Amino acid sequence: MEFGWTPQENAVRIKAREFLAANLPADWQATAALSPGSQAVTDFSREICPKLHEAGLLLSHWPEEYGGVNASAWEHFIIGEQLWEVGEPRGPQYYNVNWIGPTILEYGTAGQKNYHLGRIREGNVIWCQGFSEPSGGSDLAGIRTRAVRDGDRYVVNGSKIWTSYARLAEFCILVARTGEGKRGVSVFLLPMNRPGITVRPIASVVGDGDLHEVFFDDVEVLAGERLGPEDAGWEVIRYSLNFERVGIPRYALALKTLDRAVMQLQAASAFGPVARQAAADAYASCEGARMMAYEAVDQRSKSRPGSGIASMARYAIVLAERKVADFVLDWAPHLFSSDADPMVATHHKRAIAAGLAAGAAEIQLNIVARDMLGLGVARGL
Amino acid sequence: MDFDYSDDQHLLMTAFESLLERFRAPPPGQHGYVAYSGELQAELAASGFLEITGQPGFGLLEAAMMTEAAAHCPVSVELAASAMLGAALGLAAPVAVAWGVGRPVRFLPVARTVVVIEDGRVTAGTPCADIARPVTGVAAYPIAVLSALPHDARQLSGTEAATVRRRALIGVAAEAAGLMRGAVGHTVQYVRERRQFGQPLGNFQAIQHRLAEDAQLVRACRWLAFRAAYADDAKEAAVALLYAQEAMRKVINDCHQFSGAMGLTLEFPLHLWTYRLKVLQGEAGGRGAQAGSVADQLWPLADAA
Ligand SMILES: Cc1cc2nc3c(=O)[nH]c(=O)nc-3n(C[C@H](O)[C@H](O)[C@H](O)COP(=O)(O)OP(=O)(O)OC[C@H]3O[C@@H](n4cnc5c(N)ncnc54)[C@H](O)[C@@H]3O)c2cc1C
Repeated sequence: MEFGWTPQENAVRIKAREFLAANLPADWQATAALSPGSQAVTDFSREICPKLHEAGLLLSHWPEEYGGVNASAWEHFIIGEQLWEVGEPRGPQYYNVNWIGPTILEYGTAGQKNYHLGRIREGNVIWCQGFSEPSGGSDLAGIRTRAVRDGDRYVVNGSKIWTSYARLAEFCILVARTGEGKRGVSVFLLPMNRPGITVRPIASVVGDGDLHEVFFDDVEVLAGERLGPEDAGWEVIRYSLNFERVGIPRYALALKTLDRAVMQLQAASAFGPVARQAAADAYASCEGARMMAYEAVDQRSKSRPGSGIASMARYAIVLAERKVADFVLDWAPHLFSSDADPMVATHHKRAIAAGLAAGAAEIQLNIVARDMLGLGVARGL
Repeated sequence: MDFDYSDDQHLLMTAFESLLERFRAPPPGQHGYVAYSGELQAELAASGFLEITGQPGFGLLEAAMMTEAAAHCPVSVELAASAMLGAALGLAAPVAVAWGVGRPVRFLPVARTVVVIEDGRVTAGTPCADIARPVTGVAAYPIAVLSALPHDARQLSGTEAATVRRRALIGVAAEAAGLMRGAVGHTVQYVRERRQFGQPLGNFQAIQHRLAEDAQLVRACRWLAFRAAYADDAKEAAVALLYAQEAMRKVINDCHQFSGAMGLTLEFPLHLWTYRLKVLQGEAGGRGAQAGSVADQLWPLADAA
């Protein structure tokens, strides 16, 4: 057990910082506040991701065969901290490198890997995640979208909701019912330009481009576009969610936001003893969340499943996000109610969704209770 | 970064845990407020574990690991201050740490050294009966009130004092992490066994969620304390103790809540963890002092900067 960084890890952090200093435009913070799914951030992601790849910062943790250098999960996470801290210039493409790519690496056929991982590597492909439905939110087993097999293809009918980035996405990692009962679901890598797909944006407080409805009307998907075996969707989903839950080092932006709010208060001579306590408390929460996330990364770097630990980490992150958001609302409300610091807006939009996206906070607690505390399920009273 | 034991740490902790083995349950017939074990204290002194920070390849992190592991036992023993301060400063174990004169001090009745941390100075000396009045309360530590500095008290140098201030916090944070792990682990076991409404209490989500939150807090406390020990750093020490003192307010109350009336009896060992935690809640000035210290280190006051 040790809690230091290797020289290599320190070098990667510095490299990422230098890259950002050289490549982020002066008005980047205002753009970032528009949210990852916005046209502006999506466009920018197509500019910066190829450069990130060229600098070895996009997917260094992938195997050499697919453009990586087999760097550790740690190095990738360090890069993620640096990028998230400035408002995530990869925009929706963080999905690709954090969890869609790794899931394809694990379950994809050789053809799927070559095609999709190659495109992700080029840094200009946008994906969306078609899991949630009106009838299947926390209880994903309630999904109704069905893919009916017809020879070497399936026909998809149904709809998805809350689908981030869908409007500009070229591909969707889609979960659909292929068999009977709770278990019978499969995952597909579906091109979004197939006839029969309709996307409708949903206006929200989390930013433009982050929530949509997606309708599937006799959409054709090929058997060769299925990821993993038929009816083995849950395993693939579970694998991907473990990456997604601790994919984003959310505390990094929270800490930066906290710091900026404090700077503002200091400048206005309004950072008194009570505010100092609240700020320190929020800081400690972020550091606790950081250590939980690091434990999850440690598990990942050792190829252990670690689902309970990822859920615990996610929960800690949710609470830390809220503490920082509350600090701003309590002590620097003018930053929330105005555009004085776009980073505060960026943080608020991310923080409000942390306890829902990738599974509600309560679902994380259910997983912890079951997997880590060995507790059972209540029976009818 | 590596969250698993190294081979050496594994050997060390296996040996240490086997020393603790006999103390994993309160001594038979023990129904008192305190379960201090002079026997374990003596074994610790004889075993060489207290000198861990001086062993090649080991350091403060291993002392924190042992502190956490010992606190996980219902039986109390002084280890943190001896291993983290005593060995480095040549102080005789057991070492009691007092945050000022006139206050109740953990382990003072059994200590051979008392380190007194005050605003402008840190002193160390030998306690004796006329300055250490033992108290009986419900707390689960042996406690005495320190009425004056020992007559042989010597003031520590600036560097030594800074070491004491920093490491005392790390010691409390690591001890708190182990105590909370003990309390939550015991409570989880209890709600798995205790049946009401035709099923184990642990089936109920209202209980599950709070215990899952507690388990998260305990784990974060442990990592923050270990990281602070690894870095031997003042800010991280304050962060670790702040997090722990914040967390224990919820953890203590949840554990008692879910243990029902049984949890308030002396026969049920829960108090041996929680009534030590209650003492630690206000240690070193409590979370207010820790938060102030974290803020001062992160965002120095204008006139101090
Ligand atoms: C910003 C954002 C982006 C998203 N992006 C995507 C995306 O790209 N793709 C996608 O597929 N989905 C996406 N989601 C959807 C997300 O996964 C769901 O919101 C989440 O799984 C919860 O489902 P729900 O909203 O239907 O809430 P519900 O399932 O209706 O639950 C509502 C609330 O009830 C409580 N609850 C539910 N079940 C339980 C239980 N068993 N025990 C205790 N409490 C419970 C929780 O507090 C929960 O938040 C996104 C969500 C947000 C907020």
